[in-house]
Amino acid sequence: MKKLTLQLIYTFLVRWFLKLFVGVKFDDSSFLVEEKQFIILANHNSHLDTMSLMASLPRSLVHKVKPVAALDHFGKTKFQERMSNFFINTLLIPRKRDKENPANDPIHKMIQALDNGYSLILFPEGTRGEPEQEQPLKPGIGLVLSQRPDVKFVPAYMKGMGKSMPKGDNLILPYNASLTYGKATHVQSTKVGEILSQLEEIYLDLKNKTDGHDAP
Amino acid sequence: MKEIFHLKFIDNNDLLIVVALIFGILTFASLLFFFMGLLKPNAKLKELKDRTKSWWIMATIVIGAIIFNTKISYIAIAFLSFVAFRELYSMLGFRQSDRRAIFWAILSIPIQYYLAYIGWYGAFIIFIPVVMFLLLPMRLVLKGNTDGITKSMSILHWSLMLTVFGLSHMAYLLSLPPIDGVNIDGRELLLFLVFLTEINDVLQFTWGKLFGKYKVIPKVSPNKTWEGLIGGLVCTTGVGYLLIFLTPFTVPQVLVVSFLIALSGFIGDIVMSSIKRDIGVKDTGTTIPGHGGILDRIDSLAYTAPTFFHLVYFIIY
Repeated sequence: MKKLTLQLIYTFLVRWFLKLFVGVKFDDSSFLVEEKQFIILANHNSHLDTMSLMASLPRSLVHKVKPVAALDHFGKTKFQERMSNFFINTLLIPRKRDKENPANDPIHKMIQALDNGYSLILFPEGTRGEPEQEQPLKPGIGLVLSQRPDVKFVPAYMKGMGKSMPKGDNLILPYNASLTYGKATHVQSTKVGEILSQLEEIYLDLKNKTDGHDAP
Repeated sequence: MKEIFHLKFIDNNDLLIVVALIFGILTFASLLFFFMGLLKPNAKLKELKDRTKSWWIMATIVIGAIIFNTKISYIAIAFLSFVAFRELYSMLGFRQSDRRAIFWAILSIPIQYYLAYIGWYGAFIIFIPVVMFLLLPMRLVLKGNTDGITKSMSILHWSLMLTVFGLSHMAYLLSLPPIDGVNIDGRELLLFLVFLTEINDVLQFTWGKLFGKYKVIPKVSPNKTWEGLIGGLVCTTGVGYLLIFLTPFTVPQVLVVSFLIALSGFIGDIVMSSIKRDIGVKDTGTTIPGHGGILDRIDSLAYTAPTFFHLVYFIIY
């Protein structure tokens, strides 16, 4: 039931709404079917980001991918938490680490979801920032990848989502936005600092390639 | 349901001839580039092949929209306007505080096309040039951010005029009342306009590629040559003469109208080129392979549609 709902919502309703009304140009994501498990890393400027990433996934994968979101924002009440989990398939995590109680620890929760066979969507810059302005990566993604180095990560770069629906405004304005995927890659090291600098480098590369494509 | 799928063009030979002609030209072009590719594998045909492929798709959509129920045509042209408008303001950029006014401008699209649909000429012709012209600055002012507001007012209304007001004349052609004494309806006029505009683009491009030497306005568009312009104007006028059976015009009238379509198409093209040059992009997008964005294809239509419509209105009504 949940699988069908998610497939209907994202590969059909949301996808066509984003394509026809908003004007999002989706990159081909069929290569993800080949990868068993992955973590999508994306920039975060808008509520449309999660919607676009979910809508860009191949239909067979939608229910196997969990966007990671903040518990205190999307799970304010038990009802809201259940709605997010059902309709967005979220993995809700607390913002602060809790090493004494693993069930309440964000890193532990993400690793558990990976071990259960789910793929993740992560916004390593944290909360929504200014459109097209990078922020330093949070170390959480490094911690997860250092403990599960076999899981590939896939960078995704979105452009224009913050113009369409910026932080603090609920109006969705049509805007020719785009979503571009990079290659699925393994981490080269298990040290958190090295992982983060590898991610930053690959991410910047993808961003420059995308931006260069639009310029003359 | 039956009404929607009733192919009116089957009992209309004129439309059938042009549809056959369009697909004939496309088949010829596809075959030509295919064999040229076989003979000269090194020739740079990728762009031409992509363009032809996109023409196939666009022609099918346009013809489909024209020959099925005309209600679908209004919706299709309105959607085309919307996509073009979205592409234009996305490309030109806007301030955060312009978002509400842009949304108002988008809401004016269904209204403008509804006015075209019901054929209320007086309202259709003033809605965007007068009503939206007065309302959009008001919405911007209410937001209260005066930094760069003049620029926003100008860009927003100009974009709306070009992509919505201009193109909506295509839709109004379908609502024109029947003409005394001739059996011509709006769909034939619309097909005449679209076919002539697009063939003019192709002819000017081809003449320019084959014989182009002296540039018309090198600062704006280095590809526009006098040879291409004149060759295109002459040939398009000739094609217009051959398609006289789609129009209610006499021979001198159809020659003047076709010539003016060709000329205004050229002007629309260079106007868009100059804007792209100003903001430093080559194509307006990547929506249509080989052509760039929607705007690159409809820039001439935005100029030819009002030109043609008002010529028809002046000559016939």
